[in-house]
Amino acid sequence: MKLWVYVIIFLLLLPLQASLFGPLSLGGIAPDLGLAVLYCIGLLTGPVEAAFAGIALGLLQDLGSGSLIGFSGLTLGIIGLFIGFLGRRVLDIQSPSNSIFIGLFGIAGSVLAALFLELTYGSVPLLGLFLVRMVPRAVTTALAGYGILRLVTDKHVLALIRRRELQKEL
Amino acid sequence: MPGFFEKNRSVIAVLVLFLILFWLVTIQVKAGRFTVLEKPVLAVSGFFERIITGTYRGIASIGSRYILLVRTERENRRLAGEVGQLRLESQITNELLAENERLRAALDFKKLHPPSSVMVQIIGKDASLSSSTMTVNKGSLAGIDRDLAVITPDGVVGRVQAVLPGSARVQLLTDPGSTIAVRVQRNREEGLLEGKLDRCALKYVSYYVDIQEGDLLVTSGLDGIYPKGLPVATVTKVRKHEASSFQTVYADPVVKLSRIEEALVFKK
Repeated sequence: MKLWVYVIIFLLLLPLQASLFGPLSLGGIAPDLGLAVLYCIGLLTGPVEAAFAGIALGLLQDLGSGSLIGFSGLTLGIIGLFIGFLGRRVLDIQSPSNSIFIGLFGIAGSVLAALFLELTYGSVPLLGLFLVRMVPRAVTTALAGYGILRLVTDKHVLALIRRRELQKEL
Repeated sequence: MPGFFEKNRSVIAVLVLFLILFWLVTIQVKAGRFTVLEKPVLAVSGFFERIITGTYRGIASIGSRYILLVRTERENRRLAGEVGQLRLESQITNELLAENERLRAALDFKKLHPPSSVMVQIIGKDASLSSSTMTVNKGSLAGIDRDLAVITPDGVVGRVQAVLPGSARVQLLTDPGSTIAVRVQRNREEGLLEGKLDRCALKYVSYYVDIQEGDLLVTSGLDGIYPKGLPVATVTKVRKHEASSFQTVYADPVVKLSRIEEALVFKK
């Protein structure tokens, strides 16, 4: 994908996540839109591009949220890399099983973050966080991610992408 | 060998970036977080958040605000704000009364005025798991500055972390980087309340200190950020370990942080 497409997606993603999903969240649990989009990028591009996209998105999240700069970049970069590797083995890009993988990646990212916080600040209630925050968040992210994946991998959109790629090759 | 690097240039670049990021994080853990580029991102993000939130709230309020009894709703909002302010004043007054009784014994009292405050609307909430922040719709133009206390009539929300002319970022009390000087309202024991993402924990509480589940923690004013006597959190779990000289105390914020729409920023 072109750089300007990423810039637009990421710049819109942060405020959309912060403002729209805030009021629409259920009991304070909102889907992780960044991860959902990263999953789509990983499946449609590849490990290296997804890793770069994850790093860029994570850095923007760090700057916007006031957390340690580089932490989300590192986490999302690693997750993007793995999504890209997984993408090479996914046969049906529109299969509902993708939602399970999105959920699992969501939990993996949250567990990484929580472990880091436990090591840095200590006494983080890991089990409570896992049950109350990580799992519900992973479920909502899986649903949102699958919705986005269906949307961007719609036959018409894919045909458009392929046509442009063919034009480029010619 | 050069062929290998040439062939795997992108992969190597990703790995190098990972190492750089890891190094950046470890530096910040020791020396405190960097604030570089923070303001431009906050400005861009705040701009879009304002548009999106404004549109969302605009659509949501069409039914309630214009079709259904415009005047009644306006009056309701005014009264709700007034009730909130009164509840806040009442809480401050209760704390002041308790303090007054203690001070009266020593025949020394001072006149306290409630600090002036700015009403702000929440236009964005951070979604990352490693931090808890939110964006508000007013900034330095409204007199908001860094490290000012943000509260609701129910209690403490957090403090201002970064400021722009038209918006500001608030670090919630559940953020891992947040520390608030508190006191147990029942017996005046002091402690430091740290954010633990979805709850808080009282730090360095001696094994012998009397803390019970249900105890209300109020600000002690010792950190110079929060005014004295504001409700912060309620103790939910107390664990004593035989091997440790400290006890683990968890507390839940009194303010439902996921449901706040407006808050007050206390000016010093």
